[in-house]
Amino acid sequence: MSNTLMHDELDQAIESMLAHPDGARATCSDEVAELLELAGELRELPRENFKSRLKLELEWEAAGRAVTITADAAQRNSPASRAVSGNSHVMPSLFGKSWAGYPVRRMNFAFSAALHLVMAVFIGAGFLMVKSATPVVDQNPHAVVTLDPYIAPVGTRPEGGGGSGGAREILRASAGAAPRARREQLTPPMVLRMNMQPRIAAEASVIAPPDMTVPRTQQTGDPLSALAAPSNGPGVGGGIGGRAGDGVGTGSGPGRGPGWDGGCCGGAYPPGNGVSMPRAIYQPEPEFSEEARRVKHQGEVTLQAIIGTDGVPRNLMIVRSLGMGLDEKALEAVRTWRFEPGKMNGRAVAVRMNVIVNFRLY
Amino acid sequence: MNALANLANLADLNQERCLIEAAQSDPSRFAELYEGNFHRVYAFVARRVPSRDDAQDVTAEVFHQALKNLGRFQWRGVPFAAWLLRIAANALADRWQRSARGVEVATADAAMDMAEAAEEPEVERRAMLFQLVDRLPADQRLVIMRRFVEQKSVREIALELGRSEGAVKQLQFRALETLRGQVRNSHE
Repeated sequence: MSNTLMHDELDQAIESMLAHPDGARATCSDEVAELLELAGELRELPRENFKSRLKLELEWEAAGRAVTITADAAQRNSPASRAVSGNSHVMPSLFGKSWAGYPVRRMNFAFSAALHLVMAVFIGAGFLMVKSATPVVDQNPHAVVTLDPYIAPVGTRPEGGGGSGGAREILRASAGAAPRARREQLTPPMVLRMNMQPRIAAEASVIAPPDMTVPRTQQTGDPLSALAAPSNGPGVGGGIGGRAGDGVGTGSGPGRGPGWDGGCCGGAYPPGNGVSMPRAIYQPEPEFSEEARRVKHQGEVTLQAIIGTDGVPRNLMIVRSLGMGLDEKALEAVRTWRFEPGKMNGRAVAVRMNVIVNFRLY
Repeated sequence: MNALANLANLADLNQERCLIEAAQSDPSRFAELYEGNFHRVYAFVARRVPSRDDAQDVTAEVFHQALKNLGRFQWRGVPFAAWLLRIAANALADRWQRSARGVEVATADAAMDMAEAAEEPEVERRAMLFQLVDRLPADQRLVIMRRFVEQKSVREIALELGRSEGAVKQLQFRALETLRGQVRNSHE
């Protein structure tokens, strides 16, 4: 018998054996019958990767790690495991099954999930902290005050007082451009004019240094207001704003912007340029501090103060310090001083000035 | 000849004892005992269960239990395989008892009988046959595994390997012939 015939005969016999495991064996030659008997035993061979996979499981178990036993028929056939097996295709790690040769540890998934959760919380907390530490600009328009609209764009700086006014209206002052600044005010600015046909027409103005130029627009009003409806504001005195005076803004007086007693933008007038220097009319001597007296420390403390129209010094701050407690003594003394206020065109105005306090030991 | 065989058996037993003691002190050494007894345990179990899946389940259970209880194993001059087969017999008896559902089964006696039966040369022969399959050339081993484990037809195997059906039949024939020759040699 040729080899090819023998191969075919053996294969047919094997095919028949595999198709009918319990059936009678086909008649064949002795040699083929012997090989067929061997083939019958080979039907019980374990699957290809079973041995290596079980070995791997045992190695993991020997290393003290819990593993999922490869195949437990009872468990595999249980309804619960069948339900799990459906899900295992979605996420084998979660359900402890794997198609690979490695045993899967469910604890690994749990640790991994927990670690990811902690990391997510950590990163999220970082974002929150950064967010909370970031300064947030207040969107309230009343809290954000820029004085640019009140002042000229080039070559000047805010100085002098401020102004406000109003006609006791319900609405806040309406938006518009601040009126022109002049040394003298003939007519206070108004959004809604009471007298439409005055006998002597004069341009509305505020009292401020005349070198400050303000761009003109059609509508007069408070440059910082967002209100479109025409209104002089709830203040009193004839100007535009919420307080008293003939000016425009949030201050009080005939000027512009915050502050008082004319000028612009919350400060006081510097002396000169038509503004007289306040004069001290009551100035008690400052006391020496014990520390300075012991070491005979002496000199001058320079303070800056705004002398109001009532002659009271306000907004005191130290410009040049002497130390050893003499600065505090100088502040205490100057607070008690009284001045004759500075004047502009015969009218008292707030003036910013330096006050020098001498400390001498004789 | 008998004296030489006894000496060889004694040497094997001493070597096995060393392996057991090593595995008892270091469980990672259990792999060596596993390698030496896997086919024996599998062959013993496979003859007593209806399917390959069952045989694999019981075999896995046997080795997991053996690893777990290795510390309690006491050397009494009996091969380690006997202890493994006793575990396998108990596992099979438990399995039969569970599947019998009320039918009385003399599990202890059955286990004893099976353990004794394990010494039958048939189990040893089949274990050796399975072991020899692992040593076949790769292409022959592949054909054997596809043909008898996965029960694929020659045509399917030929398509998978990209070879002719005749070549696959030839590989199958040569593999079986090789196995037969090696089994004969080991018995002589």
